[in-house]
Amino acid sequence: MWGRLRPTPHRKPAMLEISGLCKRYLPLPDEPAPPGEPNASPRWLAHDLSLTVAPGQTVALLGASGSGKSTLLAMLAGLEPPDAGRVCFDGEDITAWPPERRRFALMFQDFALFPHLSVQDNVAFALVEQRMPKAKARQQAVDMLGRFGLADRAHSAVTQLSGGEQQRVALARALLSAPRLLLLDEPFSALDADLRQRLRGEFAQRIADAGMACILVTHDEAEARAMGQRGHRLVAGRLQTIW
Amino acid sequence: MSHPSVPRSVSSATLSRRAFAACAVGLACGGLPAWSHAEVPLLRVLTHSSFDLPKELLTGFEKSAGVKLGIVKGGDAGEMLNKLILTRANPVADVVYGIDNALAGKALAAGVLAPYSGPSATAPSAAILPAPLVPVDHGCVTLNIDKAWFAKSGLALPTSLQDLTLPAYKNLLVVQNPATSSPGLSFLAATIAGLGEEAAFDWWAKLRANGVKVAKGWTEAYYTDFSKNGGKRPIVVSYASSPAAEVFYSKTKLTEAPTASLNLKGGVFQQVEGVALVKGGKQAEAAGQFIEFLRSAPVQQALQTTLWMLPATPGVAAADVMRHAPTPTAFDNPSTEQMAAQTPAWVSRWTQVVLK
Amino acid sequence: MRLAARLPRALLLPPLLFVAVVVAAPMLRLLWEGAHPEPGTAALTGQPPLTVWGVWADAHLRFRLLWSLAQAGISTALTFALGLPVAWVLARHHFAGRQWVLRLLMLPFVVPTLVAALGVLALWGPNGHWAEPLGLELEDTPWLLVIGNVFFNLCLVVRAGVDALGQVSASRLAAARTLGATPWRAFWRVEWPAIRLPLAGALCLVFLYCFAGMGLALVLGGQRWATAEVEIYTLVAHELRLADASALAWWTVGFGTLLAGLYASLARRLAQPRRADRVPTRPVRGWRARSAVAAALTVLLATSVAPLVATVAWALADVPGLWAVWTAPETLDALWNTLRFSAMALLAATALGLCQGLAVFHWRGAAQAGLWVQASTFVPFVVSPVAVAFGLLLLYPEWTASLGLLVAAYTLLAYPFVGQHVAQSLAALPPHWAQAARTLGASPWRVFVRVTLPLVAPALRRGMAFAAATALGEFAVSLFLSRPEWTTLTTLIYQHLGRPGAANLYAAHALSLLLMALALVVFVLLDANVGSAAPHAPPKARHA
Repeated sequence: MWGRLRPTPHRKPAMLEISGLCKRYLPLPDEPAPPGEPNASPRWLAHDLSLTVAPGQTVALLGASGSGKSTLLAMLAGLEPPDAGRVCFDGEDITAWPPERRRFALMFQDFALFPHLSVQDNVAFALVEQRMPKAKARQQAVDMLGRFGLADRAHSAVTQLSGGEQQRVALARALLSAPRLLLLDEPFSALDADLRQRLRGEFAQRIADAGMACILVTHDEAEARAMGQRGHRLVAGRLQTIW
Repeated sequence: MSHPSVPRSVSSATLSRRAFAACAVGLACGGLPAWSHAEVPLLRVLTHSSFDLPKELLTGFEKSAGVKLGIVKGGDAGEMLNKLILTRANPVADVVYGIDNALAGKALAAGVLAPYSGPSATAPSAAILPAPLVPVDHGCVTLNIDKAWFAKSGLALPTSLQDLTLPAYKNLLVVQNPATSSPGLSFLAATIAGLGEEAAFDWWAKLRANGVKVAKGWTEAYYTDFSKNGGKRPIVVSYASSPAAEVFYSKTKLTEAPTASLNLKGGVFQQVEGVALVKGGKQAEAAGQFIEFLRSAPVQQALQTTLWMLPATPGVAAADVMRHAPTPTAFDNPSTEQMAAQTPAWVSRWTQVVLK
Repeated sequence: MRLAARLPRALLLPPLLFVAVVVAAPMLRLLWEGAHPEPGTAALTGQPPLTVWGVWADAHLRFRLLWSLAQAGISTALTFALGLPVAWVLARHHFAGRQWVLRLLMLPFVVPTLVAALGVLALWGPNGHWAEPLGLELEDTPWLLVIGNVFFNLCLVVRAGVDALGQVSASRLAAARTLGATPWRAFWRVEWPAIRLPLAGALCLVFLYCFAGMGLALVLGGQRWATAEVEIYTLVAHELRLADASALAWWTVGFGTLLAGLYASLARRLAQPRRADRVPTRPVRGWRARSAVAAALTVLLATSVAPLVATVAWALADVPGLWAVWTAPETLDALWNTLRFSAMALLAATALGLCQGLAVFHWRGAAQAGLWVQASTFVPFVVSPVAVAFGLLLLYPEWTASLGLLVAAYTLLAYPFVGQHVAQSLAALPPHWAQAARTLGASPWRVFVRVTLPLVAPALRRGMAFAAATALGEFAVSLFLSRPEWTTLTTLIYQHLGRPGAANLYAAHALSLLLMALALVVFVLLDANVGSAAPHAPPKARHA
């Protein structure tokens, strides 16, 4: 049913290695102080954090709201610089690499589909960035959508899709960009329980089929256990292994 | 803010926006002035905003003098002179037109004009200006009345300035502020010359009590307060030529002017406008030619119906429409030196008496 | 990565340089001239010059300053009192022609000040169509100026109100109603707290425009009720009392800067991503809704449209004459000039405004600096146009009466609108979209081109519409030196009104109609998605 992805340029299996990552929480100048901590010293979102992810492995990260899970993913994606520490992928130090070079796909709770582009243009976004001609990119996007059973929605506006369909399109978009690592930031929180269960299984299957490494951030332990081979909890900037 | 819906195909909205963008860029590029050939020198002329001469005459001058005319309008005559004074270190023009006898003293005191010794400087004129200004045209600032209003109300026309302070003429007069308006200043000067300074300010005080309206400038007084144009005041300070202009610019053909000038003793000021070289300006020769051009017969004939003033060169035929605007025979002008010395004091005293 | 992070902040440079060269330097030059007058000029003015503090000692100038503040305050209060109910009615109901009503709201912006003033006077002045039946004698009262201010600014408050009400969370409102709040209480406890900040921002701007605006006060203020800006104009242009003008100008610029800073701080607190669940509009049913809509439309018509009707009616009364005026060679020349200057100014204003908006967005992290960067958007409205015009004469005499300076003057008045709208829109963009695009392989520049710009495009277009309207209806530029061959429609109208004759008066009205039609076309082309609160709520996410 699925078919293989485009082959990645890397031949040997890749590994993500995070060592000694540090990040302090700095409120914006206009933000009021968080409740309960009027003049506390700055918190650590990540404090000497280390983690490795083997190829094809899904690591789940649990943590309370505001514990820094999303910031960790942002740091991994290259959207935010860490205060200290290193991120290595496949033996290369990519700490200073910009996001467009790292090719780590990031998926969001609010799907983050571009409202001004059609569904197929959304999915083809990364291919266009790779200088593929638009017609060819669109064709590949339609093929990918076909694998998700959404080929007939290729020309729709993203606002016309249901929540579950939008998240599937987001996954299609991420997968078509042939990422080396998948970062999922609470991808199912906006969906109802029934849908969550179904998509959980579907996504886990697709990611396994693609043989991709994945980091999943969630606050739902059941979901973490269902999808992740390993699980950690993020507390005060440090990771505690759960399973 | 909602985001645009996804176009299935290029919608008409997008098409019209693209067309608009193309037009805008096209206009912007096409609208740039063509690269002018540098060989033709530029003669910069500073005038007040009412300057207007037929295009053919101006292009004819450009050809004969071999220059390109760069006319710059500097606002009201008083504003224009102030701009000239302000920029005297680095003048913005080579020749200036529009300084009248009320402002001549200020211009001379500020030293912004250069002497001119061409033929027009010594030629006879219907009106005179202190050198180095060469008179170009003259006219009278006087009161204008709305004939229809007076016919309807049956009120007799005032026969002297003192009549305007009588209760019968309460709330009927609108004047311009001498601080901001050239005709306003001219009228004030006429009252001072005609009645004597102390008597004049007494008269203004009585006028204030009798409900005189003060407008900022000629346009406001004539187009909003004058009863002919929808206002409430049938007597306004304007020019003796305004009735002729009313006939010229009327929508329907008129045989008689709807307004008339009311020439009262102490209420008529002879205004003489002139042209002069600017001190520190370039193109002295072409500027001199421009002065001669302004005094030439075709221009003197044409300016009657574009500037609405009478020609300074004697012997020029009067335009036909000017028969609706007979020239006042008498006028009261203070001397140029008096005006130069006293104008600021007069204006501030007037402001004190009439406005504050 | 460091350089790439700094580059967007450097976008502040083009608008800053522009303002420095075209506005700040001339104004300072003029103030300097006032502080160090030439020996000769003192004799011309005949009075000792004032110091900055001396302004408050002089009764006349003190009155001018206090009255400027007072009339701005009264006008702002009036626009608020009228604008909020109208905005609520427009935001919560949909009816046929709603889009056109919202478009027509922009018309007052375009109308040249003199034409608007004539319109206001036609209604409320001596022998006014409305003043006379009501027995009101508004001549020489401050009310003419206030009415004029309301005419120009009501549309801003209504627009801001409609936008703000469109952002109120539908679920919160519904929760309040189910918890027992009547519609009025629901408004007071749920909608009002949500809209008061955006409205405060709009009112701040209205206050600034009323305080610092010159054109309307010049015509409607009369002698007694003119504002401080008019006083500066008189002191500089007519009396050449530069020292006194400088002293007064320091105060007006000071107050204006405070207002701009206040607006900037409000805008920064407002910057948050837009929400999805908007309150749906209701159809007009029942006598209450009908009368509310009728009342709102009446208020809008009476304040923002009626003054223009006189002009339109006058112009349309004689259609052959109208056509003759419109096709006269001088009109066509003026039309060509208006179009090309506005096009040039629009392009420049879009570029500068985009830079300004992006700069504001990228500086939002810095506390103090970010505030002043945002406030700097409004520098053109804070400074006195007369001071700038005369300062330009002093500083760049060889550029006076040059096309570049003319277009620069248009651009100066137009680009803040683009900058303000772009900054607001960028602040409202959810950050996830840009982040997703980055992870999909787009460099920051590509993200800007493919994601940010298309999403900001509606706001950019609205800002451009305002910019174009300002360029079309310019007033302050007429203070500059101008050449006859560059006569625009607006200057042509002023020219016609500088000569007596019924034909001239008619031509002025006919050209005003042309100008209004032109502006309406521009608005329709640019701002097609006006007031786009969805008529129905967006479909809820269905079960997959």
